Amino acid sequence: MVRNRLSSLPSLGGVLATVLSALASLALLPLRLPGMELAGIAPDWPLIWVVAWSVKRTAWQGLIAGVTLGILQDALVNPGGGWWPSHALGLGVAGALTALLQKDRLIQEDFISVALIVFAMAAISETLMALQWSVLGHRPLGQIWLDHQRLTLASAILSSLWAPLVYVPLSRLWPED
Amino acid sequence: MTRFELLRRWWQRYTSQILGGVGVVALAVYLQTTQAWVLRELYRGLQGGRVPDTRLTDSRLQELETQVQELQIQNRQLQQLLNYQQKMPLATVATTVVGRSAGHWWHQIWVGEGSAKGITPGSVVLAPGGLVGRVLDVTPHTSRVLLVTDPSSKVGVMVNRSRAMGILVGQGTGQTVLEFFDKNPDVKPGDRIVTSPFSTIFPAGIAVGQIESIDWRAMPAPQATVQLYAPVERLEWVLLHSYGAKPALLAP
Repeated sequence: MVRNRLSSLPSLGGVLATVLSALASLALLPLRLPGMELAGIAPDWPLIWVVAWSVKRTAWQGLIAGVTLGILQDALVNPGGGWWPSHALGLGVAGALTALLQKDRLIQEDFISVALIVFAMAAISETLMALQWSVLGHRPLGQIWLDHQRLTLASAILSSLWAPLVYVPLSRLWPED
Repeated sequence: MTRFELLRRWWQRYTSQILGGVGVVALAVYLQTTQAWVLRELYRGLQGGRVPDTRLTDSRLQELETQVQELQIQNRQLQQLLNYQQKMPLATVATTVVGRSAGHWWHQIWVGEGSAKGITPGSVVLAPGGLVGRVLDVTPHTSRVLLVTDPSSKVGVMVNRSRAMGILVGQGTGQTVLEFFDKNPDVKPGDRIVTSPFSTIFPAGIAVGQIESIDWRAMPAPQATVQLYAPVERLEWVLLHSYGAKPALLAP
């Protein structure tokens, strides 16, 4: 029994690499290297990581990963440690939805479809951010939704272009069961 | 098989996943409540002593500092003549920009000095060209700066020529808009904008930018688009001023 449970646990190296890659996706956020920017917007690295993680996992695992990375991104961004608007909502939904998509067997597991999923999830997570801003009411509504168009397009295009680069090494890290 | 047995099996099967999930989220919440202090310091550590080509910036900086000192001395002498009491900015630290905003909806920068050099939240951030923002929070070796282009940034400013007052609000696009208080302000394109003496957050008289165009039909009062002097989107280094008490405005 004990042996069974131990063998089902992932290896320490695998866990470490997973944690480090997730932290690296956060560390890439404040960086702006040449070719990474489109209209001042950088790729949404945590979103790419969450999609790559969730593709072969359950909705719950996708949700937890998304919420975790979202809270950490909030910590890096939100002034004064505020909780709202939170990236956790968008990333959590993106993780859960990505995992559910896989169940339908509609989408093949290759990096092109991952790029497409990232594009869609970027749009969804930015929309959830815009909704939160609208509810909070800190900014004029018209400005929020104008910003939303600009940010969504730039973020979705850039993130989906960079997605294969993140997905391929990560999919090697997590071999199929 | 009893219901209890089923529950026990389910628990045995998923214990590690559930505990792992709860643990990871709890850790993230902890990091969030400390504003990712650890992550930001780590990021700064990884960047190491990344110093830009200091030959250019240093010489320009020295030139500017000399000018500033000269002006400060002159200013102090004039103020003594007028018996004008004012606290000068406490300290100035020059530092590099180590990162940009980590979220699309914000306009922030991370700079490479923090509380270890005496930077406090609220410090004023200047760049070649003038005002760029103020410090939101600090760790020992990083500070997070809210840029004036962020939609949540509001700076009290005035038109240098006519003393017309207003509030400079970020638009989230690298542009800023000046919302006047007055219904009929004396202003025209090309007018220079400085921080207002009524601002409690910024010292008075810092150069901000130039009026580009004016929308006279805006409600409730006219608005002007302001072109900032400082290249906010391409900053490489900034000056941090610890700004303490508000100077007495019109001391006798």
